[in-house]
Amino acid sequence: MTSPSISVTVEGNSDEALARKLLELAEFTVSYVYVQGGKDRLDEKLRAFNHAAKFTPWFVLRDLDQDAPCAPDLVKELLPDRAVNMCFRIPVRTAESWLLADRKNISQFLGVPMSKIGANPDDLDDPKTVLINLARKSKSKQIREDIVPPTNAVARVGPAYVSRIIEFSNEYWDPRKASKNSKSLAKCLLALEKLNQALTSKT
Amino acid sequence: MRFTHLKLENWRNFLKVDVPLQRRVFLVGPNASGKSNLLDVFRFLRDIADDQGGFQRAVKSRRGVSKLRSLHARRYPNIVIDVTIEMEAHTWNYRLEFTQDNLRRPIVSKETVLRNGDVMLDRPNDQDVSDSELLTQTHLEQINANKEFRPIADFFKKIRYLHIVPQLIRDPDRSSGMQGDPFGGDFLEQLVRMPKKTLQSRLRRIVGALKVAVPNFDELELERDERGTPHLKGLYSHWRPDAGWQSEDQFSDGTLRLLGLLWVFLDGTAPLLLEEPELSLHYAVVRNIPGILARLGRRTGRQVMLSTHSAELLADEGIDANEVFLLRPTTEDTVVTVASHDLEIRHLLEGGLSIADVVLPRTAPPVVQQLTLFGDSL
Repeated sequence: MTSPSISVTVEGNSDEALARKLLELAEFTVSYVYVQGGKDRLDEKLRAFNHAAKFTPWFVLRDLDQDAPCAPDLVKELLPDRAVNMCFRIPVRTAESWLLADRKNISQFLGVPMSKIGANPDDLDDPKTVLINLARKSKSKQIREDIVPPTNAVARVGPAYVSRIIEFSNEYWDPRKASKNSKSLAKCLLALEKLNQALTSKT
Repeated sequence: MRFTHLKLENWRNFLKVDVPLQRRVFLVGPNASGKSNLLDVFRFLRDIADDQGGFQRAVKSRRGVSKLRSLHARRYPNIVIDVTIEMEAHTWNYRLEFTQDNLRRPIVSKETVLRNGDVMLDRPNDQDVSDSELLTQTHLEQINANKEFRPIADFFKKIRYLHIVPQLIRDPDRSSGMQGDPFGGDFLEQLVRMPKKTLQSRLRRIVGALKVAVPNFDELELERDERGTPHLKGLYSHWRPDAGWQSEDQFSDGTLRLLGLLWVFLDGTAPLLLEEPELSLHYAVVRNIPGILARLGRRTGRQVMLSTHSAELLADEGIDANEVFLLRPTTEDTVVTVASHDLEIRHLLEGGLSIADVVLPRTAPPVVQQLTLFGDSL
């Protein structure tokens, strides 16, 4: 049996790697990835993606950030009329929390003790800053230089931040393990598995 | 080993430039705002220091002082180039002021070298005063005169500039025949001259990257034909197995440009100057360029200065406003601003916009929409 194919919409370059990992685990074949360059652009086009999802399975990842108190509220606001094959998931509060949820691997990757990484990343107000601050304490100079913005920088992240997040998502991140520490990730995996079942049982 | 500061006066279309330089520098501006002219300062320094070059030649190949001097320079006839370099725990400063004499020959008006603030060279000196012919050369280019500051002469020599023109790789007969042609005319020659082991290891890494970026790309080899001309050969997996290898004249512009870029990234650790590396490349490839440069810089300390019009390239959130220069033409000259020094830019970035969102609209020509009328002009 071949795995069902699915199209993907994500905010940025680094989210693509994460989305692919999730879809591999949920046994989908990724057909196309639409990288949007920010949540505002994604929101603008959500209606079109949702329209297409009436016909093709679709996976959309969009950070919750501070845009709503909780994920369901934001879904209601952005996508009141969800198409049947649309899997619209919201990391709480940013995709970094899903990466931090794999405590063992992220601690090794960043070169910080696992005890420094909280057990409930979904509760973090700003997981991205938490991740960067962890990297600040890394024993690896390379990690610090890549991920932490230089002094006097206006940028919130270091020069190879995106590249490092992609590397981690691709090569080290274990979403299954991570889902034990992140409810929003566990729900996302469950939703993808359900969608897969629904699609394969139809054929 | 990199440039940390640049000051210019009356250089081409810049009356005055005074900017700190980071390990990555992104030059952004409208067409003809002088992005290439700014990069040319570093090529000029290289040309002076080059064994086959020298000051006279570097100016002559740019068609003389009058072409180099800003048209709006009236009160200050000297062209001034002043660079600061961090190298092996020393801070060097090289300053060159020049003009032309009555015979229109380029003449050094002032040349100074500082190391950690100590004066290593200060011209004109007594000899220059007694023999003004000496001022037709810099000490940078003279082995017997630059002993005290040889490291910076060597540093300048190694500066690399690349602006691959795929047509020249395919058809090297069209190129000028120069060695180290930045436009790719002797690109394949450069490759075959490498020690075999280095070449193989680099090609292996390049193939790894090309496989990611170019669908169905499989293998890459370099060999000489019976006449001794080097050729690249690529194998694509979707082709019929007996379809054989494709040679470089069948490679696409994008493949050749990417190949050239990857090659030059691996080649050396001296500053690298790139013109619009995004040309012919898919945007999904382009948006990964800043990440490559960040890692390259971290590993080897290599400095990369590039010009770009690409929103994709500038969308990388790891690009800091300190790394981005805006070139804004005025009626007099072109003004270079570090993006982080502009308050409005800072506020927009703090508000969550990307560098691309903020910087590109500011470099668009003000009435560019009128261009569409051109379609009616016949």
